[in-house]
Amino acid sequence: MKFWGVRLASILGAVAFCFLLEGVAQGQSSFVQRLFVLAGLYVTLAVSLNLINGITGQFSIGHAAFYQVGAYTAGFCASRFFAQLNLPPAAWLLLMMITSAITAGLAGLLVGLPSLRLKGDYLAIVTLGFGEIIRIFAQNQEALGGAYGLTVAPKIQYVWAAWLLAILCIAVCRNLLRTAHGLPFLAVREDEIASSAMGVNVTQTKVVAFVLGSMFAGAAGAILAHFESFVSPPMFTMDVSFTIVTMVVLGGTGSITGSVLAAILLFYLPEKMRDFTNIPLSGVAAAFVAISAAVFAIRWVMQNFHGSAKDRAIRYLGIVVGALVIWFISKALLGNVPSLKENIDGSKLRMVVFSITLVVLMLLRPQGMLGHHEFSWDWVRSKFGKPTVKEATA
Amino acid sequence: MTVLPDLLAGLEFSTLPQQLVNGILLGAIYALIALGYTMVYGVLKLINFAHGEVFMLGAYTALFTSWSFGFTQAGSRQDSSPGILIAMLIVSMTVCGFVGVLIERFAYRPMRSQPRIASLITAIGISLLLQYGGQLFLPSSPPPSISDKVNPFKGNIEIPLKPADSALLAQAEQLKAKVTSTKAAYDEQLKSEKDSFNLSPVGKGLRTASQDAERDYRNAIDKANKDALVITLPQGQVIMLVTTVVLMIILTWLVMKTTAGRAMRAASLDFDAASLMGINVNTVIAFTFFIGSALAGAGAMMNASFLGGTKIDTFFGMLPGVKAFVAAVLGGIGNIPGAVLGGILMGLAETMVIWAGYGNYKDAIAFIVLIVVLLVKPGGLLGSNKVEKV
Repeated sequence: MKFWGVRLASILGAVAFCFLLEGVAQGQSSFVQRLFVLAGLYVTLAVSLNLINGITGQFSIGHAAFYQVGAYTAGFCASRFFAQLNLPPAAWLLLMMITSAITAGLAGLLVGLPSLRLKGDYLAIVTLGFGEIIRIFAQNQEALGGAYGLTVAPKIQYVWAAWLLAILCIAVCRNLLRTAHGLPFLAVREDEIASSAMGVNVTQTKVVAFVLGSMFAGAAGAILAHFESFVSPPMFTMDVSFTIVTMVVLGGTGSITGSVLAAILLFYLPEKMRDFTNIPLSGVAAAFVAISAAVFAIRWVMQNFHGSAKDRAIRYLGIVVGALVIWFISKALLGNVPSLKENIDGSKLRMVVFSITLVVLMLLRPQGMLGHHEFSWDWVRSKFGKPTVKEATA
Repeated sequence: MTVLPDLLAGLEFSTLPQQLVNGILLGAIYALIALGYTMVYGVLKLINFAHGEVFMLGAYTALFTSWSFGFTQAGSRQDSSPGILIAMLIVSMTVCGFVGVLIERFAYRPMRSQPRIASLITAIGISLLLQYGGQLFLPSSPPPSISDKVNPFKGNIEIPLKPADSALLAQAEQLKAKVTSTKAAYDEQLKSEKDSFNLSPVGKGLRTASQDAERDYRNAIDKANKDALVITLPQGQVIMLVTTVVLMIILTWLVMKTTAGRAMRAASLDFDAASLMGINVNTVIAFTFFIGSALAGAGAMMNASFLGGTKIDTFFGMLPGVKAFVAAVLGGIGNIPGAVLGGILMGLAETMVIWAGYGNYKDAIAFIVLIVVLLVKPGGLLGSNKVEKV
């Protein structure tokens, strides 16, 4: 009874959260509403890619392709069938999410079946390649609007839809990991050969993860298409794929909580940076210098210092202060270089920040922010000095 | 099944030899880049994602070198000499070599003890950093290009494969006499005309006759040349091909005959055993990165100066990089002759796609080839098919 009570409360809570967000967004400008929806979509994309990359351990870097398949499916269907069916917008959007999920899932099956025989870096390149092929194909199809793209007829802008999908995606991934159906995914990630010896159908597991991840990306695409009421090939370039990969890697490959946090953080940060319009180039160059110096100093401490945690923290603090000093000095020095006297827009720094995040993360904390850890109420309880469920039952 | 005949009917076979030659020229550049991928993979088992960006930096270095010689966009300098080209080549190769070594030292070496996927993510990060970070500091909009005045070899070499029909050519020559005579008559009439824009009826008749004769002559010449096959090779591109071959010969000598090359081959065969045998593997890896990146620099310099004023931006290396990577996989990654073979095949594949009228898909072909190779023969054409064991 308690089991179903918790379930019901969670579902009601999730739905309530979505409509709360909708309510908050209603009063805001269209720009803020856009942020709300896109953040939800990126959470979906990051968590669904995490299912493939982190949980099953198949490093895919072409997730934008399935996002695109979903968006184009919705766009294509809307232009042909929306007027005939005469459905209310919410029902139509739901129908499109399901349709797009199915086509994206089929695309995932098509890509996954042959390429999941490959490993590691080869798989990465092939998924990247498939992403590009799908984009170039759409760009050259007159029926799909070619390079101009498709106009999607009904503009449906529901904040709740994006977040409901995100929560559904999180719930599916979380519950998968909690049940016996999810164990093969983890087994495949840890050791393919050992898990196949234990009777896990490795290929099937990988393909299921791939198709499931693609389906969520496809459904996200349907929401995007109806939100922007426009889809075009440049919306789904490699940049989008790399953005999603950065979110998964930053959050911690395998941690759903990590992916959610990283998706929101990495989506919000560049949007915030747009507000800064006059960033001196010398400051950016100085930041490169300071960050590299700090990263290698921290690495040195990590490897060569074996004192107490407190002494270690003091050294890290010293490095951060030192990096700031280096930044100030080199900014003053570089300010004299004529070619660095320009000012640039914060929006140009988006991908630069992502790439630095990737490299710095790999150098300092390759497992990502949270590693394999997840958020849990037990953890919250333990922070308040109460025993965790395990301790209480033991 | 009418697709195949339709496809064949759309093909223009008379341009095929020229396209094949173009493909080989393009393939030579891909081969130079592919060598860098294959050498690094051979030693470290790492796909150096940032290799395309080293290629891009090579093109920028060549651009800046040409500017320092006075070939700026304003175009103040007109004359060039082979010495300037050689200087650009050497500067590009050296700068790229050191960039490659720096990337290895600060990004890849710390990752060596980590799982391979961590190195891959670092490589992607470095690649994105050079693309987007470079965009802030390097001139990129409007994309500059190396002035074509820097290339002193302007002429074309024409290789006739099949001469024009001599009988038709002779007929055309006969028509030429008529062209001269009618033109002379018209010129003569023109002298006596008062207003050259408002001719008398006699003048108009002579003008029409002259124009008709000219047109007949052109038609006859075109008809005679219709079956002729001539391959046109710009001299600069021939020099590019020769330089590529020379660089490859030097590379072969370096790898097969020198001590450093032997150390490289040993590290490629068995990394740990090589270090136990007293080989300094860090030096060997740095050396490998230097050579591979220098070759990419040479390819970039020649691509940017000889292949017709290519625009340079920070994404200049992305597609050549991907195509060269595919070339390396196609030839068998880790295999040096394989990279050259793969590069040339990739160049040919690309020009063939353009020739067949699918120019829009010329960037997709690389990925299609990659997927087919990895599924059919993952070891590549010249590589071995190893199965991973427990």
